[in-house]
Amino acid sequence: MSTAPTTAQRTEGTNEPLLSVQNLSVVYEPVGAEPTHAVRDVSFDVGRGEFLGLVGESGSGKSTLGFALTALAKAPARIENGRVLFGDTDIAHMDREALRTQRQGGFAMVLQAGMNTLNPVRTIRKHFDDIFAAHQHVPAARREERAAELVGRVSLGPEVLDRYPFELSGGMRQRITIALALSLEPQLMVFDEPTTALDVLVQHAVMDTIRALQAEEGFTAILISHDLGVVLESAHRVLVMHDGRIVEDAPSADILRRPQHEYTRMLLSHFADPRAEHVRLPGLEEPEVTGPAVGEDTPSRAVAPARSARSRSGAGPSLADGLQLVVSGVTKRYAPPRRPAAPVLAVDDVSFTLAPGGATALVGQSGSGKSTLARMITGVERPTEGTVRLGDLDLGTLRRRRLRDLRRTVQMVFQDPYAALNPLNTVEYTLSRAISNLTDVPRDGVRRRMFELLETVGLTPVEQYARKLPHQLSGGQRQRVVIARALASDPQVMIADEPVSMLDVSLRAGVLALLRDLREHTGMSLLYITHDLLSARLITDDILVLHEGRVVEQGPTAQVMRHPRDEYTIRLLDAIPDPGRVHGV
Amino acid sequence: MSAPTGKTPPHGGPDAASTDAASTDGSGGPGRTTGGDPAGARAPRSPVLSALVGGLRIIWGNRKARIGLIILGLFVLLAVLAPLLAPYDPKDNTFERNLDASAQHWLGTTAAGEDVLSQVIYGARISLLVGFGAGGISTVISVVIGLSWGYLTGVLADVVNFVVNMFLVIPGLPLMIVVATYLSNGGISMIIVVIAITGWAWGARVLRSQTRTLRGRDFVESARFSGERAPRIIFREILPNMTSLIAGGFFGSATAAILAEAGLEYLGLGDSTVISWGTMIYWAQNSNAMLTGQWALLFAPGLCIALLATSLTLINFGIDGISNPRLREGSTGR
Repeated sequence: MSTAPTTAQRTEGTNEPLLSVQNLSVVYEPVGAEPTHAVRDVSFDVGRGEFLGLVGESGSGKSTLGFALTALAKAPARIENGRVLFGDTDIAHMDREALRTQRQGGFAMVLQAGMNTLNPVRTIRKHFDDIFAAHQHVPAARREERAAELVGRVSLGPEVLDRYPFELSGGMRQRITIALALSLEPQLMVFDEPTTALDVLVQHAVMDTIRALQAEEGFTAILISHDLGVVLESAHRVLVMHDGRIVEDAPSADILRRPQHEYTRMLLSHFADPRAEHVRLPGLEEPEVTGPAVGEDTPSRAVAPARSARSRSGAGPSLADGLQLVVSGVTKRYAPPRRPAAPVLAVDDVSFTLAPGGATALVGQSGSGKSTLARMITGVERPTEGTVRLGDLDLGTLRRRRLRDLRRTVQMVFQDPYAALNPLNTVEYTLSRAISNLTDVPRDGVRRRMFELLETVGLTPVEQYARKLPHQLSGGQRQRVVIARALASDPQVMIADEPVSMLDVSLRAGVLALLRDLREHTGMSLLYITHDLLSARLITDDILVLHEGRVVEQGPTAQVMRHPRDEYTIRLLDAIPDPGRVHGV
Repeated sequence: MSAPTGKTPPHGGPDAASTDAASTDGSGGPGRTTGGDPAGARAPRSPVLSALVGGLRIIWGNRKARIGLIILGLFVLLAVLAPLLAPYDPKDNTFERNLDASAQHWLGTTAAGEDVLSQVIYGARISLLVGFGAGGISTVISVVIGLSWGYLTGVLADVVNFVVNMFLVIPGLPLMIVVATYLSNGGISMIIVVIAITGWAWGARVLRSQTRTLRGRDFVESARFSGERAPRIIFREILPNMTSLIAGGFFGSATAAILAEAGLEYLGLGDSTVISWGTMIYWAQNSNAMLTGQWALLFAPGLCIALLATSLTLINFGIDGISNPRLREGSTGR
């Protein structure tokens, strides 16, 4: 094989380093703003054939570091000082043409939104041809064969070469970008969040491919990710990055067993296996533990009604008549994109009941119909067949005016707190509008009610937070504002659509705990839509697993997680990274 | 409605964020660490004011836009201080005719015996008035129609689509000529109306497409969940997020209006008794100024028209920098 020189040295990277980073600092200098020091004085070595992980939360500088390593750093980023030695050459201070040639047989990068880096008007074959033509490292007669071989490496058939990018799924496109990077026969591959934009199951498969490739080809790999689980499972050695500095640098097994830095310990503490007997995160215990009887086999169903009954009795008379949400035989068909095709079946005959004060998780990968279901429950869309009833109200037949009234009882927490708040409106405006639109609070009471809401979601001192604009808040604080807005009308049903998937792990537990406490104290029922089984285990009593629009498994959350019966549920659970299994802990 | 009109100067943050929409996952690309609003970092000022100041600072930071602002400022001064600056009354035709440049008449006199320099100075008033008047009106029309059209769906949107497309396919100048002839002798306000009526459609189209992308955003959906009605969502939630686009459209249509005004006046379709750069060229052409060697008569108003239009175009370079930080000068790093 053409990568013979590197395959020969398939060791754990104890010999002379392939890449040596010395005192590297990178600064962002945008026009008209303060410079930001994204990477500060970072030094480390990577041995040949090593698989290195780089973990950190958003803003930790991990991607900036990755870009600097592959000499892709662009203005306003600037390498302030330090050296990046690749072999004997310093790539931090290399001219463009030297860099371009260096990319063949040197270093390659697979980007986060890699599947969007393919040119939509060129076939996959043309992408390979471009690279071969630019570097002339494969003789013209062998290019065809080599391209087919490369896509084979990433578990795709040669027929994809004649496809256009839009004809391929996200996972396939990400595999193509990996194959393209591989076509340069790099000694070093940097993967920047290669699976973040993909679905859980696809994520798992792509990571498997990357791991297998690394073992076969023996290239040196750096995996950048926010997901400690993925990194620990794949990498030999892990660098933990925080605030632009590397706070810990140790073999994966050591990180898992004996984390040294408190930041690493904090990251690890937010990582748990939803299949475990008992699951807890900092500040967030599993439902059973809070129940009266803590026992080995306490069915959680028995605990849930007891708790909701208790909370309802304590929360005042208005909640005694909690409404029950009944979804029965709901089907949603969309018109086909092209005439002769069959209609798209988004939701297929789904039935469930959400009791007052109950919490149900709706789990499935994207395209499973969970968001469509949420849209029907909020009255945004109407079911093609079946009914959604709230109390004695049939949501499928509501007219627009009544739909506005429905907002008083059914509210929604959106997925992306960075997008769900208008960047130009203060927190006060956002909340006040919801209060005056949806409640009968008199004009002079709106401000007081707004402060109350902020207090409920834990944003104190309230006067200070009321004045802020979204960009002055962290992701977790924004999500609290979004939750406060949803609470404005004292809704009876709250739908949370992936409320923590955009947040850093350290912020997730807080928002989840808030959602659970709110449910317990106000007696509202919660429909929690997610693909993250761990969070579902922590805050819900019941679970519905959706697959291709159909409910494949249903039952008490803890029981489904621990003893899944459906094959799809098992696959979902298996896709969760399990570093403990790999490192024998 | 508390909706700001198209003349509200632009601001920094949200459009900048929209261009970085690709980085929507929680992990920290460079976009999130650097993509903040530089002016909004200091808290206590009102958001509108700080956005305004931040926007102006970005425009001023762009060299091209700075030149544009200076030229525009000079023309505004010229127009405002015309009575003080002009050596004579522009309609005073008691001078000798067809004089060449001299110490008394820097740019000579016209065939009717008026001072050319005084006419050029007073002409700035009309051009600015028509430019900003017609530009403003057509911007307001395009904002109202473009935003509603982008937000609404169904039959009504199709009807608007038809009307806008009709305005787009009819060639501008002939339509203007027809309308101007029909409304003949309405004076300068007629010219403004004609230019505004024929000039809004393109802006509406641009704003409509931006509205369509914004209406799918979560914050619009969540405003709906807060019980907001459509007009308020359109003008209070969506519109402020497009101010830089609207400001850019305003300067663009002001430029077009200035040129159109000059064109109509030159063709003799305006009020030829008004002193404007367009009528100056009209009369210069009528009196064969080029043949008599009085080039200043054509050249001076022509240069002013070109300079004013250029200044507005230059300002738009700076406005581009507000909506897209990558277009700010120096940010390309080359």
